[in-house]
Amino acid sequence: MTAPAIARSSLTTSLARYSRSWGLWLLLLVAPVGARFWIPDENARTVVISVNDHAPVMTSAMLGVTLGIVITTLLLPVAFIYLRSNATRRQPWQVEEATAGSRVAIALGRFAADCTVLGAVLAAMTLAGWFIAWLVTPLASINLAQITLGLWLIAAPSLMGVAAIRILFDSFPATRGPLGEVLYFVIWMASIITPLAGAERNVSFAGNMTDFAGFVRPLTYDLPPGRENNFTIGAGKTSAPGRVDLDVMSGLLSEGYVASRFAWAALAVLVAALAGLAYRPHRPRKERRRTGPLARLLAPGAPPAALSDAPPAGPAGLPLLGLVWAEARLIAEGRLWLLLAALVAAAGILVDYRLVASPAALLLLIFGLTAHAGRSEQPGLIALTRTAPYSPTLRRAAFVAAGLGWSLLLALPAAAVHGLQPLILALATGAAAALAAILLGAWTRSAFAPRLVLLIAWYLYLSAA
Amino acid sequence: MAELILESVGKRYRRKAVLTEVTHRFRPGLTLLTGPSGAGKSTLLRLVATAERPSAGRMAWDGGPLPSARRALRAALGYAPQAVDLPEDLTAREFAMHIAALKGLNLAAADRQFGAITDRIGLHADINNRISTFSGGMRRRLIFAQAMLGLPRLLALDEPTAELDRETAGKLGEMILERAAGAIVIMTTHLADDLAPRAAEVLRVEDGRVSSVKAGH
Repeated sequence: MTAPAIARSSLTTSLARYSRSWGLWLLLLVAPVGARFWIPDENARTVVISVNDHAPVMTSAMLGVTLGIVITTLLLPVAFIYLRSNATRRQPWQVEEATAGSRVAIALGRFAADCTVLGAVLAAMTLAGWFIAWLVTPLASINLAQITLGLWLIAAPSLMGVAAIRILFDSFPATRGPLGEVLYFVIWMASIITPLAGAERNVSFAGNMTDFAGFVRPLTYDLPPGRENNFTIGAGKTSAPGRVDLDVMSGLLSEGYVASRFAWAALAVLVAALAGLAYRPHRPRKERRRTGPLARLLAPGAPPAALSDAPPAGPAGLPLLGLVWAEARLIAEGRLWLLLAALVAAAGILVDYRLVASPAALLLLIFGLTAHAGRSEQPGLIALTRTAPYSPTLRRAAFVAAGLGWSLLLALPAAAVHGLQPLILALATGAAAALAAILLGAWTRSAFAPRLVLLIAWYLYLSAA
Repeated sequence: MAELILESVGKRYRRKAVLTEVTHRFRPGLTLLTGPSGAGKSTLLRLVATAERPSAGRMAWDGGPLPSARRALRAALGYAPQAVDLPEDLTAREFAMHIAALKGLNLAAADRQFGAITDRIGLHADINNRISTFSGGMRRRLIFAQAMLGLPRLLALDEPTAELDRETAGKLGEMILERAAGAIVIMTTHLADDLAPRAAEVLRVEDGRVSSVKAGH
């Protein structure tokens, strides 16, 4: 089979799988409906983008730019979660890796499928943009081409980049797991912070290449030079009256911007091809032999001797408590987690709780919670546990109680020194994290989505300290 | 005495009828389900295990009709499906305790019982290892062991001896027969010929219908 035929087969197979998953149709429905909430209404009290504390005048071009920027900044993690936890995540690698098929062709085929799906979402958003324009801009000034250009020029290269990252992360054993989500989180943060740091320099092709999300140039082009400007992306309120009229079209077509967007798209294709070249096969996870005192401390050790005459286990005295206890043990799976938990709890006595100990405890909890939420919600396991006397719903409630218990336990040493405040914080963060982990885990049947969402929430919590 | 009754039970998936008019009274003892692949054996086991609901007919456990008696049935159930998404990053023992908690069992006693079961089926040395390191046969034995936890009065076992060598399969067979002395055990197995002489009854599932090959009780 030739490489183009393999790429074509990989593309069509992936597209067929996408089209049969309800997630795609939900995304195609939710994305355009959600778009309406990103565009300020007439009184512009709540906006998604503000420039120098003003809401922008909503021209057709600005509407397209707004939709594009919201996608490349706030919603990029959602695209990553979708690609990473969708129907095509499970591949028959045991068979695939034994074939002579070109890995580059397979990677490019899957990348093309991912891009097609994200392109379909953008197309749905474009239609939504046209409709919103009819609602929020004067009829005579509606320019469908400007809406489309603004949206696609900003969002398409970034979405292609996300698709490339997902293919790249699927190519290496280390990034197929939680490390991939952590790395993506770092990349996403960098993609927002880097262009802001060099906003003044983004006037050339090279400058624009630092702006993966593509939002700086369209927003800043029309602002007076030499003045300290600020802009906000996200839910917020404008503090200044009136609107600022920005010529974002000139920013979009300014020197180097269009070329930089095409360059990012080309780079995404290149990364996907390189991911195929660098592909490392899956390997059965054999227990690694560990030596040394730390390894001995972390290893579970030999099982206790079997009692051949052990009677059948009877019912527990407090079965619900047993359920919570079992969940707590599985959230804290492995001795490494327990060791880190002890360190984090002890840190609560020595360092500032809100600044250091609480975020550290929450981060540890996020990894424990999401790992267990993901593993316990696998469809084939749920099919078994559904037949147990205690239903999956009850187990989820026990999961939240156990998560909350761990959160409070980690805050106890700090509470002994600092009073009730650490416990109140732990109660709030623990409950929110446990609830989010189990709800997202149950919904997506994986640990990816809850982990990434909670990492973003954790960053916000850390930043707000 | 435990009793599971199926009365005119049917199961359809969209337009396809997988089981039709199944009427049977299961009593303690080993009941083997035989028949060609895709005949509906696993579907029948899923119905028995309450993993799915019948599209037609009635089921009753210990005199109580389902679904109101479902909780009582589940409290007495041990179920080993053909495939489970085992949590790869847990040890076998951690997984077993997860199931024991869901069954409402005393965890310390369940841990000891799990040790005894796995010792008999040659898995004990590996119960503190992660499931990701397990072979197909080890996974199969783990799925079997979790079903045996507690004292189930109804065991639904879907090919528990698949992927096992003859000796290990024989050990499982012995345990199943022991348990069948006081519990309803319904199972599919490729070793049906070996177990049939000691089974209370053998049912043949074919084209969605169930017929008795060896009548018991």
